Amino acid sequence: MDREGDAALAEIRVEGLGKAFGRRDVLRDVSFTVARGGFLTLFGPNGAGKTTTLRLLATLLRPSSGSVAVAGHDLSDDPMPVRRAIGFISHNPLVYRDLTAQENLCFYADMYGVADPGRRIGDLLERVELSHRRYDVVSTFSKGMLQRLAIARALLHKPRVLLLDEPHSGLDPHAVDILDGLLDEVRAEHTFVMATHNLRQGLELADQVMILDAGRAVFAHSGRLAAADFAAIYREHVREGALV
Amino acid sequence: MVRKDIVSELRSRETVVSMFLFVVLAMVVFHYAFTVPGGGDLSFYTGGMLWVVFVFGALLGLNRSFAHEKDEGCLDGLLLCPVDRVTIFLAKMTANLIFLGLIQLLAVPVFALFFAAGRMAAHLPAFLALVVLADVGIAALGTLLATIAMHTRARDLLLPILFLPLVIPLLIAAASGTSAVLAGSAGSVSVLGRLAFLLVYDGVFLVLAYGTYDVAIGE
Repeated sequence: MDREGDAALAEIRVEGLGKAFGRRDVLRDVSFTVARGGFLTLFGPNGAGKTTTLRLLATLLRPSSGSVAVAGHDLSDDPMPVRRAIGFISHNPLVYRDLTAQENLCFYADMYGVADPGRRIGDLLERVELSHRRYDVVSTFSKGMLQRLAIARALLHKPRVLLLDEPHSGLDPHAVDILDGLLDEVRAEHTFVMATHNLRQGLELADQVMILDAGRAVFAHSGRLAAADFAAIYREHVREGALV
Repeated sequence: MVRKDIVSELRSRETVVSMFLFVVLAMVVFHYAFTVPGGGDLSFYTGGMLWVVFVFGALLGLNRSFAHEKDEGCLDGLLLCPVDRVTIFLAKMTANLIFLGLIQLLAVPVFALFFAAGRMAAHLPAFLALVVLADVGIAALGTLLATIAMHTRARDLLLPILFLPLVIPLLIAAASGTSAVLAGSAGSVSVLGRLAFLLVYDGVFLVLAYGTYDVAIGE
């Protein structure tokens, strides 16, 4: 498909993206597109610019250069529809510990203007296996439960794009299995961009990969890759840091 | 957002309890410090006492107003929502206003008992007008500065440094207005002038917050 055709189908279009904090460039001239329903995994060592890229896509940071369009809306000109189109899951669950699971989801449902919030919250809590803890204060939840609640929060407004910033970080193997199961379940409904250090988790769902190093995209590939082949490519392109 | 902050506060009781204890304890200290043998007239000083206590009490609450958002990383969750940044400011300001109003509701009777027995009830409308206008100014300025301070590591230190110099004009107007009201000059030009000043002060900081909040709460 030609470049214009690709751009027309793109759910996420990033061109020449750069970000500087003061005089320090943390991201330089990064470009990629992700088609609707696509799954891009960003690999790279600490400080490579993965989280910065996700925070720029999520409108949490303003680009210093370049442009970003999500779901057809330019991030700088029109951030509100971009925010509506995005669900964000990081290692931080973004829920209030003094509130119950129900109150947290009700709050976010209000903020996103979710229609029929009671039913939607019930469905999601069922899906993340937290119905039985619906009215419990979140400060009593384990890390795995918090992350499942974070997934429910991120899916609440039916976003077109899910941004995942090392979502497996700090989870025990059982919680990782639950999270992977959930991601697998919702895989067909969303477009994904995930940042991770984990080779297996990063490649399993991805149909597109990119390696960032020192703020630059040093490798990009569309299509699936075998783990062994990708590990060799990673070692070739990245100066420091290893994949898990 | 306002409901969320109130529910969160009702459950943790971190802010209102500390504000209330500070306000009441300060009034008790002032009561004993300024008691004059023979029962001299304190109405000239009472406005200053009251507003110093309220401003520092409010500072305790303002310091905590973004604590949940920042400490639990929920600020990102809030900023991801498709709501105007000014809406976030207005919600936070309203919550701060409610907490301050609640403290005053509990503290003013204590103040009346110690310093203004009988005089406050006679001039309640003028006193309430001063309180409402001063509270809006404290909440508007305080919420804007608390937002700026939360991005720094020394936020507990930075907020008073930014807030106190800027709140001095409000403090002077509210204190002198309250003293005049308690001295029996509720309808005087001087009190009306103070009310007008507070109205302008509120307008200035509301407009300033409207124009700058996107940047203040941003990166």
